[in-house]
Amino acid sequence: MSLQATELTVEPPAAPTRRTRDALGRYLSRTDGVIGLAVLVLFGILALIPTLLVGPLQNVTTATGTPLQPPSLAFPFGTDELGRDLLNLTVHGARISMTIGLMATLITVFLGAMMGIVSGFAGGVLDAFLMRVSDFFLVLPTVVLALILAPVLLDLIGPDAELFGIRSTLIVVVVVIGLTSWATTARIIRSQVLSIKERMFVDRARVVGSGSGWIMRRHILPNVVNLIVAQAVLTFAAAVFTETTLAFIGLGDPSAPSWGQILNAAQSAGAPGLGAWWYIVPPAACVVLVVLAFTLVGNALDEVLNPKAGGRR
Amino acid sequence: MSARYILRKLAQAIFTIVAIVLLLFVLFRMMPGSPDRAIRNPNLTPQQVAAARARWGLDKPLLPDQLVAYIESTLSGDLGYSIKYRGQPVTEVVADAAGPTILLIGISEVIAIVLGLLLGAYSGWRRGGTVDRVGGGIGLILYSMPYFVIGMPLIIIFAAGLGWFPTSGMTTPGGPTDPWSQFTDLVHHLVLPVLAISLGLIGGYSILMRSAIIDTRSEDYITTARAKGLADGRILRHHAFPNALLPMVTLIAINIGYVIAGAITAEIVFNWPGIGTLTVVALDARDYPVLEAIFLLVAVSVVIANLVADIIYGFLDPRVRA
Amino acid sequence: MSAGVRGRRQWPLPRLADPTAPLLEVEDLSVRFRMREGSVKAVDGVSFRLDDGEALGIAGESGCGKTTTALSLVRLLPPNGRIRSGSVKLFGIDLVPKTEKQLGRYRWREIAIVFQGAMNALNPVQRIGDQIGEPIEVRLGQPREAARKRAGELLDLVGIPKQRASAYPHELSGGMRQRAMIAMALACDPAIVIGDEPTTALDVMVQAQILQLLERLRRELGLSLMLITHDLSVIAETCDKVLVMYAGKVAEEGPVNRVFTAPRHPYTKKLLSAFPNIHADRRTLDVIPGSLPDLRNPPPGCRFAPRCPAAMAVCREVVPPEVRFADGVRVACHLYPTPDATPNLDLALAGQVPALDGEVAR
Repeated sequence: MSLQATELTVEPPAAPTRRTRDALGRYLSRTDGVIGLAVLVLFGILALIPTLLVGPLQNVTTATGTPLQPPSLAFPFGTDELGRDLLNLTVHGARISMTIGLMATLITVFLGAMMGIVSGFAGGVLDAFLMRVSDFFLVLPTVVLALILAPVLLDLIGPDAELFGIRSTLIVVVVVIGLTSWATTARIIRSQVLSIKERMFVDRARVVGSGSGWIMRRHILPNVVNLIVAQAVLTFAAAVFTETTLAFIGLGDPSAPSWGQILNAAQSAGAPGLGAWWYIVPPAACVVLVVLAFTLVGNALDEVLNPKAGGRR
Repeated sequence: MSARYILRKLAQAIFTIVAIVLLLFVLFRMMPGSPDRAIRNPNLTPQQVAAARARWGLDKPLLPDQLVAYIESTLSGDLGYSIKYRGQPVTEVVADAAGPTILLIGISEVIAIVLGLLLGAYSGWRRGGTVDRVGGGIGLILYSMPYFVIGMPLIIIFAAGLGWFPTSGMTTPGGPTDPWSQFTDLVHHLVLPVLAISLGLIGGYSILMRSAIIDTRSEDYITTARAKGLADGRILRHHAFPNALLPMVTLIAINIGYVIAGAITAEIVFNWPGIGTLTVVALDARDYPVLEAIFLLVAVSVVIANLVADIIYGFLDPRVRA
Repeated sequence: MSAGVRGRRQWPLPRLADPTAPLLEVEDLSVRFRMREGSVKAVDGVSFRLDDGEALGIAGESGCGKTTTALSLVRLLPPNGRIRSGSVKLFGIDLVPKTEKQLGRYRWREIAIVFQGAMNALNPVQRIGDQIGEPIEVRLGQPREAARKRAGELLDLVGIPKQRASAYPHELSGGMRQRAMIAMALACDPAIVIGDEPTTALDVMVQAQILQLLERLRRELGLSLMLITHDLSVIAETCDKVLVMYAGKVAEEGPVNRVFTAPRHPYTKKLLSAFPNIHADRRTLDVIPGSLPDLRNPPPGCRFAPRCPAAMAVCREVVPPEVRFADGVRVACHLYPTPDATPNLDLALAGQVPALDGEVAR
């Protein structure tokens, strides 16, 4: 489940740069949005230059610490069962978790927006058909579908394929998240397109001789783009959430540990039962912070870009 | 409530289930990773392989024979045999695991629905009040945490740390034999897992309910109720809450699919002998028949949950009944 | 006929009621809304009086403050609204300084409101019988059965068959919903019933039925009515007095037959002539150019001046004083600086105003 950006009022297109500056000003006045953004920037830095900050990703051979040690001066986050520095793992995990999240979001938003716009604009039989399809996808629980699709997809693309530096299992995760999340985005975009379409026919009576394509571009696109942006951020939150879950279950890649994968390893090593809190808290806290941050930013963006009539909330 | 409404929803549900079965067929027969490969599992004897091939009709053409056979066997409850659990019918394996999961999810949902809705309603009604700000903040944080992320710290603090509760499992192995002690032992084991799942759910439900109540608050009939001089609490209880509940019913039902999926992760953390643990084991062993059956079970449960929600919604909203 | 509420009612008047005071006296009422862009003076210094058994119509364009005025009597304002100043005296009891809790006593039991039933002013998931009975049960403390019985009687009174009490609002037609709202308003036998656009959104035949109903109830029960509407024909048909508002202030007020046949304020005159008249010759609609002023920064002087064809220099600088005439009409317009002024309104609207001393003052 994910929080959704909802309906907005259609605004007449004003000068683009002034609107952006207005929006930026309004966004910065919201504490929750600012905090969220700050957190995201922080994690963004971690994701972009992990090696610079903590050195290369440690593996079995480069692990230097004693297994399962609580935090100390040498290892601020303690060590895992292989003796690896958890600070190192956690920071590298940022890049992996967020890359997967980003890719999944791109797929979801692209698919969802396209379906939503096509469906809303075309109407008729195509619309009805696409909506039935999306209903079907809405019903399927992500995690379970992932478990079924994973082995199938793995066979399709081969276990050693690589795309943008992430391996097949993770590609599977990305695809699965995309497949199961596009439906909600599609529905929201579609209903927005429908309401714009309605207004368009009213406006068109007044506008003489303007091509519908021009009107579409000037009217539909700006308003849908806002919604897409807000939705994308919230989708990102859900994607990270889901990826963590899937990795925890075992669909992660041990050689490219996302936070979920670290937690999976922790569980296998029996960390909770052993009270090895240092193994669990950092990756868990990172996941929660990032998801929370995206949610805050997404909500703030939604309200700034898509002001609701009457100033609700 | 009109029979036509129920029939329509029932038809939609059946249609969806059929689509799911077809999807499974596509995935498991037509895709490269089909059970044909699974049959080549070295653990099976040649006789078992031959029997499985025959049973699944793998020596017949794909469509329509295999499809028909597939649908037939699914409807008659023959979902094949587990690879991992040598020869045990999949239906048995899954049924054994389903009970604990239902227990866990059922209790958690009930608690979460009651507490989440109440908390959300109160937060939304007294918007900006202390309960709203504190509760809302906590709710948002909980909502951002997958169940296992809630569960693991709970184990560390309350089980490994304080020792109040067992760290894993549903029952104590070699434990008490009399029914009452068995019952208390079960409850003892239930506390932390239920807590983990409920907290996660409460976060989400209270946020949704809060939003529903806020929407309701701006409706005209609330102004009428105020004009009638009714007390604030009464307006919330009698006018706002029942109306806000309507969209919540659908949302809760839609959510059940995610809850089941999330429960999988909670079960892993707590070593709960349910569908979740079974899934991980099956995944590890590439036990496709079991995975298939689990998917079918979960998907069908979701469809049924939506159906039940639609029917309950029909009971609650008089505008739909006509 | 029973002399209004004090004659007919069975429930006692509020304890603090002054038996000699007029039913309702509003003096210099001001209501502000705090919006993001500033404070909006939606109602500014409005005064009027409602006597026992009277029907007062409040007329004006959308946004002139008529609904806000009526709702603020029982403080039914949104969270950003506040009564800035003035007094609202019901039976001589000033409601403005009362706390929310104290005010609750007067809501519905003394002043009830009939909202536009066409929208969802009725709870969609509650049967109308229960909604009508709710104030009887909760506010008057009657047992459930008695409340139910009384609800049935009220439904009868407004012309709805008693068995429809178990119906839900969406099962009723627009007209019946409006009747149900009226029945609900009468539940506690209030002193005053306020109708907020009670016939808007209903078709003409149904409108007539509702108005007939209100008239009948007024006669039989001695109800005092306040009708808020932009539809002057409704007021002409049902009300004794009319209050014409513009941009939060009173333009003109007085007996309906005086104000409507011989309007004094230019706005009233314009309002009347803006109405399509089925008997008149065909002519183009006489519209009032321009729109309501921005109430965050109302223009100095008379608020209608920017749109008034008869505006003089003084109109744009000085707020016109209220002047009361011998025939009971009150006007706030610089054309009438004293109670015996009789300017030629038509000439003034055509742009020529003879000043008091004979010169044309423009």
